[in-house]
Amino acid sequence: MSVLVTGVSGALAGIVTRSLVEQGLEVAGLDVRPLPMGRAFAGEFYRVRHYTQRRVAEVFRRHKPRILIHLGRIRGTAVRSLTQRYNQNVLGTRHLLSLAAKHGVSRVVVLSTFHVYGAHQHNHLMIREDAPLRASQIFPELTDAVELDHAATTFLWRHRSVGTVVLRPAHVIGPNLNNLMSRLLRSGTCPSLMGYDPIMQFIHQDDMARAIVLAATAKSPNFGVFNVAGEGVASYTHAVRLAGGRTVPVPHVLAYPIVGALARWRLIFPQHLMDYFRYPCVIDDSEFRKAYGFTPQLSTVEALRSVGQSEGIPR
Amino acid sequence: MFARLRRLLPAPISPELRAKLRGAAKLSSAGFDTYGLHPETLERVLRWTRWLYYSYFRVEVEGLENVPAGRVMLVPNHGGQLPLDGMLVGLAMALEADPPRFVRGMVERWFPSLPFVSTLFVRCGQVVGDPENCKNLLERDEAIMVFPEGVRGSGKTWWHRYELQEFGTGFVRLAIATQSPIVPVAVIGAEETYPSIYDAKWLARLLGIPYVPVTPFWPLLGPLGALPLPVPVAIKFGEPITFSGDADAPDLDVQEKVDLVKRRIEALIERGLDERPWLRALDPVARWGQ
Repeated sequence: MSVLVTGVSGALAGIVTRSLVEQGLEVAGLDVRPLPMGRAFAGEFYRVRHYTQRRVAEVFRRHKPRILIHLGRIRGTAVRSLTQRYNQNVLGTRHLLSLAAKHGVSRVVVLSTFHVYGAHQHNHLMIREDAPLRASQIFPELTDAVELDHAATTFLWRHRSVGTVVLRPAHVIGPNLNNLMSRLLRSGTCPSLMGYDPIMQFIHQDDMARAIVLAATAKSPNFGVFNVAGEGVASYTHAVRLAGGRTVPVPHVLAYPIVGALARWRLIFPQHLMDYFRYPCVIDDSEFRKAYGFTPQLSTVEALRSVGQSEGIPR
Repeated sequence: MFARLRRLLPAPISPELRAKLRGAAKLSSAGFDTYGLHPETLERVLRWTRWLYYSYFRVEVEGLENVPAGRVMLVPNHGGQLPLDGMLVGLAMALEADPPRFVRGMVERWFPSLPFVSTLFVRCGQVVGDPENCKNLLERDEAIMVFPEGVRGSGKTWWHRYELQEFGTGFVRLAIATQSPIVPVAVIGAEETYPSIYDAKWLARLLGIPYVPVTPFWPLLGPLGALPLPVPVAIKFGEPITFSGDADAPDLDVQEKVDLVKRRIEALIERGLDERPWLRALDPVARWGQ
C-alpha cells in the first residue's frame, strides 16, 4: 500500500515517514522545499513549486496512494507574502484533496493547528472541536490556516467514501522542529508580555508523529476532527524555565507597537501570534485519546527538557 | 535585624497544609492543573492572604459541614467593590475545610486583559466565568463559586448594602444540567470594606471598566484610602439545595428556583446581621442615603 506525504522535508514528516516505512508501507513524498541535506528518504521524492501544479496529479497517477497525509501547511513565519501563503495553504490543500477524491484515496489525514481557535480573553479553557474558529476574525494573517481547516472539514463531510481525519495539535515541540515555539525554547532567551503568562500545552515531536501515524493507519479508524495535545499544561514562563531558558518581559503597551512597526519585515516576532502569549488557548484532547486510544509517551516536562537540551540538529 | 523583621512577617504555611493542598489537586508534570491552578504559587499567596483572613478580617465561619464533597456550586451575595468576599470564601474552603478544597471563582470576562492580577488569579485557580468552564469543572467534581449578581452586586453603593440585586438564571440551569447541589452562602462584613458612597459611572465608561467607587477615604486619602477597612467578616454556608427537573425549562419555571436560592441567602444574611447589632444600627444611615 502506498502513502503520499506532503511537506516531507519537514522534521515532523521525517519522523512520520520513517515510522510508515518501518510498518512496511511504501512512501512517496511531496514538498515545495528540497529535502534537507544528509537526510535519506526511503521512497520517491517530488519537489514541486506549488501544490496546485499539474505535476502533483501525475504523482497521484503514478503512485495510486491509498493514504494521503497532508503535513505541508506553511507557517506564517516561513513566507513573506500573505498571498503566497494563501495560495499554498488553501488552494494547494483544496487541489490535493480533490485529487485524493478523484484517485481513490481511502484515507486522508490533514494537519491543522490549534491556532485556528484564536487566542482571546473571552476564551473558555478546554476548547472542544466544535468551537467556532475565531482566529481569522481576530488575526486576518491566520485566514489561510482557518480556511485550510475549513477545506479539510468540508471535504470530510462531502466525501464520505474517503475517511478524513483533521488534527489540530497544540504547540508541537522538538529538538528537530523549526517552528516558532521550538525555536523560542531552544534560543534560551524568550520574549514575554509583562504580566501575562498564559497556560499552554506542548506535545513532543515523537508523540505528534505517533498521533499522525495512528490516524493514518489505525485498523478501526474514527474519522473526524480532533484536538491533539500533550500530557498537561504549563504556563509559558514555566515552560521556558523547564527548557532551560529565561524570559525577557516586555510591557505589552510597548511590545505591540514595536512588533507592529517591524512586522513588515518579519523581524523579531510574528505579530499575529502575539496574542497567544497573552491569552490562553487551551484545547480539550479527550476525543482523540478516546477515539484512538492515544496517550502521549512523554510528559510535558520531558518534552520541554528535550527541546531545551538540544542544539537543534536536523534529522 | 533582618531576622527580626522577618519574624514580623506572616509565617509560611505549614507543611501539613501544603501536603494536603498538593494532594487535593490533579496536577500535570509541570505542576499545573488543566485550568491553570498552580499550588506552588497559591501557597505563597496563602502565606499573605491567611494573615488577611485570620488577623485582618478575623473571619468567622459557620456551616462549613454543609458543603458536600464532590461537585458543588457556592452562591454567595456579592458586594464591597473588590471581590474580597470571593477571596474570603475561597480561603475558608482552603484553610478550614478538611480536606481543603480549591474553590473556582468565576471571574468577569474582561478580567484576563489585566496584566499581573489576571495571571495571579489563574494561578490561584480562578477561571473566566464562561458556562462552558462551569460545566466542565462541575463534571470534574470541583467546587465552583458563582456570583449571580455579577457587577450589579459588587458595584452597588454602600446605601444598598446586603440588598440582593437581580440574579441571572444561568447558574440554576447549570446546576440542574450537571446535577450539582447549590450551597447558598452569606458573607457579612465584606460589603463594608469599601463603603462606596458614589459610583462615578462617567469615569467608569471612560476607563472601560464596570464601575468606579468613591468612598469617604478614596480617592481623598490616596493610596491609604485604597486599603479595605478591617471589618470583621462572617461567612455562613447554608444547607445544600439540589434541584431536579428540566434544565431547559422556560425562564418563568427556573426563576422560581432562582428565587428560592435568593431567599435562602437573604435568610442567612438576616441571621448574620442579627448577630452584629452594630451593623444593624447603621441601617437608618443607609436608608437616608438611598
